[in-house]
Amino acid sequence: MTDTMRSHGAPARGPSAAAAAVTTGSANILMRLTDPPMRAVQRLIGAARMPYVFLLPNLLFFGLFVFLPIGINIVFSVTGGTGLFPSERPYVGAEHYARLLDCGSYLEAGSCREDLFWRGVGNTLTFTVFQMVAMVLFSLVTALVLNRPIRGRGFFRAVYFFPVLLSPVVVALIWKWILQRDGLLNAVLTTAGGEKILFFVDPGWAMFWAVFVSVWAHMGFYTLILLAGLQAIPRDVYEAAEMDGTRPWRVFHRITLPLLWPNLLVVLVLVLIRSVQVFDEVFVLTGGGPGTATMMVVQYIYTTAFANQVQNFGLAGAASVLLGAVLFVLTLIQLFLTRRRAS
Amino acid sequence: MAGLELRGIRKDYGSTAVLKGIDLSIADGEFVVFVGPSGCGKSTLLRVIAGLETVTAGDIRIDGAEVTRTAASDRGLAMVFQSYALYPHMTVHQNMSFALENMGIAKPEIAARVDRAARMLRLTDYLQRRPAALSGGQRQRVAIGRAIVRDPKIFLFDEPLSNLDAELRVATRKELAALHAEIGGTMIYVTHDQVEAMTLADRIVVLNGGRIEQIGTPLELYNRPANLFVAGFIGSPRMNLLPTELVRGEAAGGETGRAATLGIRPEHVEPCGEADADLTVRVDLVEQLGGETFLYTSANTGGPNGLPLTIRCDGQSRLARGDLLPVRLRRDHLHRFDAAGLACRPDPLPARSHS
Repeated sequence: MTDTMRSHGAPARGPSAAAAAVTTGSANILMRLTDPPMRAVQRLIGAARMPYVFLLPNLLFFGLFVFLPIGINIVFSVTGGTGLFPSERPYVGAEHYARLLDCGSYLEAGSCREDLFWRGVGNTLTFTVFQMVAMVLFSLVTALVLNRPIRGRGFFRAVYFFPVLLSPVVVALIWKWILQRDGLLNAVLTTAGGEKILFFVDPGWAMFWAVFVSVWAHMGFYTLILLAGLQAIPRDVYEAAEMDGTRPWRVFHRITLPLLWPNLLVVLVLVLIRSVQVFDEVFVLTGGGPGTATMMVVQYIYTTAFANQVQNFGLAGAASVLLGAVLFVLTLIQLFLTRRRAS
Repeated sequence: MAGLELRGIRKDYGSTAVLKGIDLSIADGEFVVFVGPSGCGKSTLLRVIAGLETVTAGDIRIDGAEVTRTAASDRGLAMVFQSYALYPHMTVHQNMSFALENMGIAKPEIAARVDRAARMLRLTDYLQRRPAALSGGQRQRVAIGRAIVRDPKIFLFDEPLSNLDAELRVATRKELAALHAEIGGTMIYVTHDQVEAMTLADRIVVLNGGRIEQIGTPLELYNRPANLFVAGFIGSPRMNLLPTELVRGEAAGGETGRAATLGIRPEHVEPCGEADADLTVRVDLVEQLGGETFLYTSANTGGPNGLPLTIRCDGQSRLARGDLLPVRLRRDHLHRFDAAGLACRPDPLPARSHS
């Protein structure tokens, strides 16, 4: 290894040679420092167990920040009271789950004991359906356009991807500034002779903008997945279709769509999983309002646990576990689909 | 089936001229092979004919009808791609019937045509398979089948055998020749493999640098190359090229005084006695193929490296590296080229095409 590095460094000249010398030097020092303890550990546990040593740091990280909180969450969901430490919380069994699931009719949120939870479920479902349709449609069309030899293609690819790099809170604040009562859009409307629209007062508009902003912010990511899929379709297949006298629409639905289907499926499932989890953008944009018109499940959990005067960690924990179960099933579906694709 | 006429075809990509004025007539039912080194424009020319590339200038006529600006799909041609370009998500049957469905042909007719082509190409057992489940040779046959079912005016083949292994390539070459004999269509075939060109073609078009160097039957090109390029390109091993003054009697001018370079094919160089020898060469490498032997030799020209001269002998040879060998060049098979590289002949031959 060291020899290889040296021989790589040797032919370089000037500043790059100096950089190579420094890199090689520090690599050498690092190797000398880490080599003896690694060998000692290997002697102690045997070469076959060495992979676990390399896995340990990440395993610790995940354990501390993912698995442990999941465990605590489950403990909270079956204990009551307002105490923070498990020892201060009395065991209540499935009481929180029963409370969440206690409904006269699941189609009528008002008939449920925890009506806010079910309103959140209903809103999340609505959001998910509209967002999935809009996201797939817009990212597909964008990918199809960006896949054509148009002028400034590289520029547009960057532009559509750019919002993905922004923090969801920043995205929501930008759009809030545009959409609020005295915002940019209303200024344009009134200048053009129209009337102001109170977007965050009308439930329909609020949900529309929640979906719109979410699509705007994440579309670039899905466009990229679809674009990669489109570019993986060999050009000569299209040429063969051209020679075969295939009309453009038929090329799309008989050639492009079936060959893009694996990528489309990934996009569909990813969008589904992400929209079930939606929180920050919508919360910052609408605050869940007007009323509870755009309050999603995650917002219900957040409010129940942290924002209400009585912080009901148990109920929020139970709702989290239920949401987690749904996401677990969706993830299994995604794994199944991607594995089937790989085989 | 139909004939094809190309007049002054030019194709530029930006400032790069890829085709520099191509004039060519192909008769109905003819099997024409475009051959040339990489980048000579042969594939571009085929794609121009197909309609997959537009021309910068010139016109294309199929059966007398002008099609220069006609879309690929409306020219009535079928193309077999180097990569086969099968639709990966469709079965063999669907691959073959797709174009017919596009044309709006009735289902029973489609079934009959696919069935006929599948039987001709021995694909009947694979009709329900997808391309991924087929071997390279089978995929190639599906690609050909896809072309046949359409009953096209002209078949276009873009290096169709280059993805097959050597054995399969020979077998498929024979099948293609048989296919042409059976359906008798006009076929245009692009390859860089001169063996394919020599064995399949009624006529070969040799392309170089976007121009046609020579058009002729395989043996015309072999026996009477119009210029140094064709002389060196057609035939394997290559024709030997020697400066005139190296050969006794030729330096004085010979029968055509203009000759600057002499060409002689390896089989026309014969070992002989010292007295009859034109040259004495040193053997550098002996390739024994059993039925024939190739001697790679160098003629001593006084320089550090001798002039390479390849000799083909029938049967087997006992010569070894380092042996000195007196050789004679058969006068009746000497090719003479002038300083510009054009063949010097008393009889006029198809000239090099100039735009």
